[in-house]
Amino acid sequence: MAKPIQLSPKDMINAYLLFFVVHGAQIGVGIQGFQRIIYQDARQDAWISVLLAGIATHLVTFCMIKTLEIYGSDDLYGIQIDIFGKWIGNFLNAIYVIYCSVAFFSVLRNYIEVIQAWIFPSIETWFLSATLLIIIIYAFTGGLRVIVGVSFFSIILSLWIFPMLVFPMEYATVDSLLPILENDIRSILKGAQSMTFTIIGFEILNVIYPFVKDKKKIRKPVHLGLLVTTIIYLAVMLVSIAYYSEGKLLKTIWATLTLFSFISFPFMERFEFVAVCFWMLIILPNLCLYLWAAYRGAIRLFPISEKTFVWLFSFIVLIGTLLVQTRTQINTINTVFGQIAFYVIFVYPILLWPIARLKKNFASKKVKKNE
Amino acid sequence: MILLSFVFLYGCAQTNILDKVGLTTLVGYDVGTEDKIKTTAVIREVNPEFQSNVEVLSTENDTSKGNRMEANRKLSKKIMVGQMRVILFGEELAKKDLRYYIDTNLENASVSNGIFMAIVEGETETLLKYEYQNIEDIGQHIFRLIEQNVKQEYMISSTLHQIAHDYYSSGKEFAMPIIKRDDELVELSGIALFKGSKMVSTLPAKDSFYVKIVRDTFKVGLYETVLENEDVPSEILQKPANKITVAFDAIQSKREMMLVDADTPTFDLNIKIKSRVLEVYPDINQGDPKSVAALEKAIEKKLSKEIRRVIAHSQEVESDIFGFGEKYRSEVRHSKLTKDKWQKIYKDMKVNVHVDFTILRDGVFE
Repeated sequence: MAKPIQLSPKDMINAYLLFFVVHGAQIGVGIQGFQRIIYQDARQDAWISVLLAGIATHLVTFCMIKTLEIYGSDDLYGIQIDIFGKWIGNFLNAIYVIYCSVAFFSVLRNYIEVIQAWIFPSIETWFLSATLLIIIIYAFTGGLRVIVGVSFFSIILSLWIFPMLVFPMEYATVDSLLPILENDIRSILKGAQSMTFTIIGFEILNVIYPFVKDKKKIRKPVHLGLLVTTIIYLAVMLVSIAYYSEGKLLKTIWATLTLFSFISFPFMERFEFVAVCFWMLIILPNLCLYLWAAYRGAIRLFPISEKTFVWLFSFIVLIGTLLVQTRTQINTINTVFGQIAFYVIFVYPILLWPIARLKKNFASKKVKKNE
Repeated sequence: MILLSFVFLYGCAQTNILDKVGLTTLVGYDVGTEDKIKTTAVIREVNPEFQSNVEVLSTENDTSKGNRMEANRKLSKKIMVGQMRVILFGEELAKKDLRYYIDTNLENASVSNGIFMAIVEGETETLLKYEYQNIEDIGQHIFRLIEQNVKQEYMISSTLHQIAHDYYSSGKEFAMPIIKRDDELVELSGIALFKGSKMVSTLPAKDSFYVKIVRDTFKVGLYETVLENEDVPSEILQKPANKITVAFDAIQSKREMMLVDADTPTFDLNIKIKSRVLEVYPDINQGDPKSVAALEKAIEKKLSKEIRRVIAHSQEVESDIFGFGEKYRSEVRHSKLTKDKWQKIYKDMKVNVHVDFTILRDGVFE
């Protein structure tokens, strides 16, 4: 077995904070407009798809934790090298680093697109991208504890957005949800698969696991985080289906933001403008955690200092955001990334668990023989 | 550092200072010459020193954005649409097609979903350009007029969201209020019924009560009805008369739509109204429970007759503004309902109307 990561207690985090990490990493740009993508497949049963996807996250996380427990105190990168050997292991690690980088990029670019479409059509992409990257670099250089802190505050400070869902209910009709289960199981499952892009983020567990102080206690906060995410997605989906008619939902790109667009207070004419700006706080943990996960993988592939990595990474992402300009390109990236993420996040961990177990049994027998 | 970047971000955005922009409060669309779009915009210019100035501008172009550019060329201030409250359509345009206008406004992020839409009898340009003696800002005036009536539940509500919702659903058509100029005033004169995105018929403003009561739950609303000839319950009258006028305040109403037969769609429509009687002429003895019951019966009969008439009218023009189709879609599995399909079925649909009218109380003086 490879040597576990050695950490001083100063770098470790409490188990209960994983609730904020998991939940904060899951909710990001996807929630702004996931409705129509699911609705395309599952129609008025889209909420069942959301529910199924939520259940799937619990199952996958169960497997993930089981796999991680076999190794005690190592992250996915270490586990892969141990199971598959140096070459294949490093190859898989590289894939995982690239996956995290693309996830980071995708969140960033989608958010910039939303800002440009809703509020500031004339602001240059590079400017928004550079500004956000500077904030993220700032948080990242503070270390893991700062990143976890960002997740914590991101959730606490954005709690008030959720009750805003009450306002659209005024125009909601329950009839839109009926008849239940009219669509066949296949289309509902397909809808659940389309949830991937929106619901991922909890895979951060694979990397953050060694940094948790009380490893036995992680189950509760992690599953609670997943549960809260599922409940929020479910609520947003139900309200959206009831609020929009079928044709309108299919044509609304950011259904959640449009949902907010008629909320107006005496002191604030258009609520969704505030929501869009505020969303920066919601995506910050997303970006920080993905960047950090990519960094953890990168240092195993080649020796690189934290500073060099973060600047190099930011520079590449900045160039990337400039290359992807149009809505069509962004949508293509989202779709392709969502499909790949499905295999990386939902299929792979379930396969990895039995492999890790076999390997362990094999190894322990070997040890016995040598004795 | 975060603060610093915020400051930079803020400074980079295009600023829109109130003194330097013209706020479009209302836009009216008409059919222009050669398939062009004729736009009449009511633009409010805010001056710090003087009273603000209201400009009504008409332009003709191929797109609504083209119209905005042309209007910009005529004004000293930049035109913004973020404060737009009402969109009006000329009658002729509404009879042609409104789809394009609904879609462009949905697409534009700076147009709120809560904006009101209405039809103008005749042309919007003539309505807006008329020099009203007492109306200073026609844009604001029309907005207040519609808003007030919708809030009081005298008129059906037709915000962009509701219009788009009904337009993009397979079992419901949208309806909008109609406004017209009445000498020095602007009044709500009726309801326009749509089939798809084309206006097919109208109902007088008085019928908006029946439309509202079937379409959605009616909360607070004043209503006046005339019981004529055969509807008059003669036994409750102190002096014989051939009509009774009744005004009541619907405190609470409940609507229940039930599909009883899916083959030739038959619906049961149960309406429960709890109300307060405000005026009855000629006088009846309201202290007597028997006469109150007779009055309730008479109003029930009258209401169900009127509701049947309004529904029959909408069936004739194939415009299901009540959403019977949505109910049908939600109850019948695998109906694969489309708008065209429902329009055909709707024509032959049957509705059984039952009204349950309760008088809770009258005023403080018997």
